Amino acid sequence: MEPIIEVKGLTVRRGPTEALTNVTFEVDRGDYVGIVGPNGGGKTTLVLALLGLLPRASGSIRIMGQDIDTFDQWEKVGYVSQFAINFDPQFPLTVRELVGLGRVNRRNIGRFRTKEDWESVGSALELMGIAELADRRIGTLSGGQRQRAFVAKALVSDPELLVLDEPVTGFDPVTQERFFMQLANLNQSKGLTILIVSHDLTAVFCRMSRVLCVNREVHGATIVDGTVPDDVLKKGYGEHFHFAFHEHKCRGEFADGRP
Amino acid sequence: MEGLEILTSMFDYQFVRMALVGGTLAAIVSAWIGLFLILRKESMLVDGVAHTAFGGVAVGLLLGFDPMLGAVAVSAAAVLGITYMRRKGMAQSDSAVAVMMATGFSLGMIIVSLANGFNVDLMTYLFGSILTVSRTDLLVLSALALFIIGFMVFFYKEMLAITFDEDGARLQGLPVQAMTVAFNLLVAVTIALSIKVIGIILVVALMVLPGLTALQLGRSFKATVVASTAFGTIAALAGIVLSVLFNVSTSGVIVFTAAGIFLFVAAYRRLG
Repeated sequence: MEPIIEVKGLTVRRGPTEALTNVTFEVDRGDYVGIVGPNGGGKTTLVLALLGLLPRASGSIRIMGQDIDTFDQWEKVGYVSQFAINFDPQFPLTVRELVGLGRVNRRNIGRFRTKEDWESVGSALELMGIAELADRRIGTLSGGQRQRAFVAKALVSDPELLVLDEPVTGFDPVTQERFFMQLANLNQSKGLTILIVSHDLTAVFCRMSRVLCVNREVHGATIVDGTVPDDVLKKGYGEHFHFAFHEHKCRGEFADGRP
Repeated sequence: MEGLEILTSMFDYQFVRMALVGGTLAAIVSAWIGLFLILRKESMLVDGVAHTAFGGVAVGLLLGFDPMLGAVAVSAAAVLGITYMRRKGMAQSDSAVAVMMATGFSLGMIIVSLANGFNVDLMTYLFGSILTVSRTDLLVLSALALFIIGFMVFFYKEMLAITFDEDGARLQGLPVQAMTVAFNLLVAVTIALSIKVIGIILVVALMVLPGLTALQLGRSFKATVVASTAFGTIAALAGIVLSVLFNVSTSGVIVFTAAGIFLFVAAYRRLG
């Protein structure tokens, strides 16, 4: 399988401390990866470094085979930051306008939007099941609807890699489960590579194919039958950590058969 | 009938026609730029930079060149200075504005005290003088206003993306820093234009009130931009016409009209 992200010997400093130390890992195309780890372990730092939004102290990052310093295809990378939860709800922006912002990039600066742009917006709204919300202001949406709108924005430029930083914070379990299932469908139907920062280990083990456990170092493992080797989690969370896992609850489905 | 005759006859005067054109253009630009400043939570930047521009006006009057050029130059320097201080962590946003405002205004006061001869001229910049705008002033104002409108039309989606989510815009490859500097320079020019219409002291109202009013409507971004410029234009036109009819301060009536529209729309939204 071709790697879409290659990280070698990456060290990142936040102020005087090393947030990530000599990190090496790869993510293959089509992977559905959960980034887990304790608070302050460096999950968001890792994401920001992968997106070129934080400088590296040392090491290298390659995205889609290209060094990150010269990478020029950012429209192929969709990103949903924690801003999706923290933005000003009074900002006068409709869902359609928000998703349309996903089509703005350095290649079309100063150009008016085309019919193709708006068709892509329509498709992204359909894909996330929020077409009927297109003319609603984002500040009036529920948490789950907002998050889907931000994912639609990230998907509107038809990316090959989607990165989400704690997208389900504050969600109730049903909304969270529905959201992760929708992303799993995108991963399977479009072959989209997805990286999600999450604190919900159950959701990560049940829905995703790989896990990266981050605590200054990164320990990766493939998820097999909803489990990962204990030592991977213990390296991230500490030796005292024990994950109680209810296997029969893993493949969650709605009683009415909704996907 | 007599009132209508007075109203129509005022348009026979060239100074009224020029004031209406200049006031409308300045109001459109001010409302549009002002809306972005509100959304960037930088409304008070306007007040700070406008007061700083007082120093530029005074330098222009002292040295005998167009005070508006002095206002533009000092406003631009102030905006860039505030941005630099914030980015380098030298001061928080409000502190940086306060420092620039005090420095620019004190420069103006020193110059005014050194030269006793232009106190009357200075008043026109403190309180605005759209009714005394010259043909040359109008040409300069129109050219600058059209340039700013052109920038905002062509870079509409980029400015919206940067204003909404700066990190997201940066990731999408937009030149965030360059566009922010360009926008800040437009803020400086807009403030200088608005000073001609409404004066240093009330310029913040012309730039902020229309946008605040439009935000009350709770519509899309595009509709909010249109409503903001419409409210600004109505306030400027009504202010000029009413001030000529009743021989009262133009800038005062413009701001009072803008504030009245804001209160009406806010009350309508809550009670309606």
